[in-house]
Amino acid sequence: MTAETPDPAGTPRPAGAGPRRPIGELAFAVVCALLGVGVIVGAGAIRVPPGSASVLGPRVFPYFVGALLLVAAVAVIVAIATGHRGQPDDGEDVDPNAKTDWRAVVLLVAVFCSQLVLIEFVGWPIAIAVVFAGAALTLGAKRWWVAVLVGLGLGLATQLLFGTWLGLSLPAGPLLDWIPIFNG
Amino acid sequence: MDSLAALLEGFATALQPQYLLYALFGVFVGTAVGVLPGIGPAMTVALLLPLTYSLDPTGALILFAGIYYGGMYGGSTTSILLNTPGESASIVTALEGNRMAKAGRGAAALATAAIGSFVAGTIATVLLTFLAPGIAKLAVQLGPADYFALMVVAFLTVGALLGSSVPRGLVSLGLGLMLGLVGTEVLSGQQRYTFGVPSLADGIDVVLIAVGLFALGETLYVASRLRHGAVQIIPVTRGWRSWMTRSDWRRSWKPWLRGTAIGFPIGTIPAGGADVATFLSYASERKLAKGRAREQFGRGAIEGVAGPEAANNAAAAGVLVPLLTLGLPTTATAAIIISAFQSYGIRPGPLLFENQSGLVWALIASLYIGNVLLLVLNLPLVGMWVKVLRIPRPYLYAGILAFAGLGAYALHFNVFDTLTLLVVGVAGFLMRRYGYPVAPMVVGGILGPMAEEQLRKSMAISQGDLLYLVHSPFAIVAYSTMAVIVVTGIWLKRRRAKLEAAPKLVPTSAIQAIDEPTK
Repeated sequence: MTAETPDPAGTPRPAGAGPRRPIGELAFAVVCALLGVGVIVGAGAIRVPPGSASVLGPRVFPYFVGALLLVAAVAVIVAIATGHRGQPDDGEDVDPNAKTDWRAVVLLVAVFCSQLVLIEFVGWPIAIAVVFAGAALTLGAKRWWVAVLVGLGLGLATQLLFGTWLGLSLPAGPLLDWIPIFNG
Repeated sequence: MDSLAALLEGFATALQPQYLLYALFGVFVGTAVGVLPGIGPAMTVALLLPLTYSLDPTGALILFAGIYYGGMYGGSTTSILLNTPGESASIVTALEGNRMAKAGRGAAALATAAIGSFVAGTIATVLLTFLAPGIAKLAVQLGPADYFALMVVAFLTVGALLGSSVPRGLVSLGLGLMLGLVGTEVLSGQQRYTFGVPSLADGIDVVLIAVGLFALGETLYVASRLRHGAVQIIPVTRGWRSWMTRSDWRRSWKPWLRGTAIGFPIGTIPAGGADVATFLSYASERKLAKGRAREQFGRGAIEGVAGPEAANNAAAAGVLVPLLTLGLPTTATAAIIISAFQSYGIRPGPLLFENQSGLVWALIASLYIGNVLLLVLNLPLVGMWVKVLRIPRPYLYAGILAFAGLGAYALHFNVFDTLTLLVVGVAGFLMRRYGYPVAPMVVGGILGPMAEEQLRKSMAISQGDLLYLVHSPFAIVAYSTMAVIVVTGIWLKRRRAKLEAAPKLVPTSAIQAIDEPTK
């Protein structure tokens, strides 16, 4: 949130600020630069309709966006190389001294991915229960059965509130479809 | 007065029982979600968007206005009562509010925040009522080149001013613009960057960008460095009935008004939104404080809560001025509101006051109502918000993930959106971790396509003459103002960094001793 070089609170650099060598930070900036290149290359592949009346075709703005992304990302790379590291975000639940818990991040992404399959095959309530219970356990919930029960409750409640009452077409899934109230 | 009659008509709509209920529900849910730690106003609005999907436009916007104001307010309760040592420097209210609470004066801090929000919100809404129609009338005469100028201003100010470094802000903006490119292009009907995927042909919804960055990205980031152990909340000792003493009132009313005067104008220009306003208000209160109040700064001075909280809410209303009159979002929250408008086929902009005047005035009237409801709800319900704060973190963030999934899936009932959300969320996590601001990305995602349209329209008018972009006085003024805003903005950021370094942390026991005589 604040200027990068002098740490505003005057505290020593938090341990969780990243690895000693900014490999991840550099990699992210490089990926952004590559995305910029990709946008520029991709712009060349956009079909310009023949005899188009507009002066500025559909390619110009993408070229501009790609260039902006590339230039800005290169500027960030230069900044990192000269020691101007990014300041990780603060937050109420963020422990500034904690080490990055990659296991939790990967598990959460995996848990979230499960929705891609589950929503269509077993329906909304169960998919949500899995996401909720999985995420809660990953983040250190003490009792697994509480997480599962709360997750199921949340799934059924959102199905009722959004599916039945507000009329969004959330699939109830084969396990619940026979119950009239979920079948609206 | 034209607008007065229109406003009364708006009240007639907004006061209908069903809409009043929507407003009440919106304020309540908005505050409840806004109180949750780690959830800012932008995330509140993004997460609660599915609630409005099946309502009629008027009802949806009224509900939305309530959520917006409630979410804005809810955050201050969190920062006052949540005891997270050493980490609160980024939230200005927490500087003094948190220390007041530690010294046993939490009730007074909450009360001055609530009443200040009400005062500022009401004054700012009055200003909005009388300024907006006039600005809309002027804005009708603007051509595409002028709009393009405004959008460039918004891009650069948001990109350069938010976050820690200018290049990082611009990368974030560029990523948003890139996502905005995806889809079928309006003028020539060509598909761009869709890779033959049918779901991408409609473009990437800004809601996905916002929910991905704020809900999913934030959750992943917090998960990576979660503060374990029990949640520490500072108890509010005195009941809300004895909230403010006479001296508290005396010390609060001027900061409220000053905060409003600072917050509203800053909200209306694209200069970084409420963050900048709250900081400026805090800095000026610190400077103006005399005698004992001055000594208390950094140890729980009520002025340091009253001013910034008022500035925060005044800025929230100020943001609505460019949003409603020009269709120009200046904050991430505003970008989400615009996308909500768009999902109803309503295009905010100068014509809104003519074409949809009933709707706009109902919305503005509901802002007044929302403000009153906030005041009525918040003081008595503090006890409930404290319980909300105690939700164990694993369940809290699991719930946020579940609702993020709902928000994505309910857009088109297609899991492809869930996948897009995940990709944006991972990007958001990395951006937070490496110090990139995420708001420019949301603004870029919504403004990019609009800016391209205006640019191409102006080029079509001028037959490709680039000088057309600066032919009108308005555009020239806009570009020169931009230069001024960016320069002052960067100056302000330097000052803020200096100021945040200033308040010395004193042990809590010392605060108690100093504060005791204040009855």
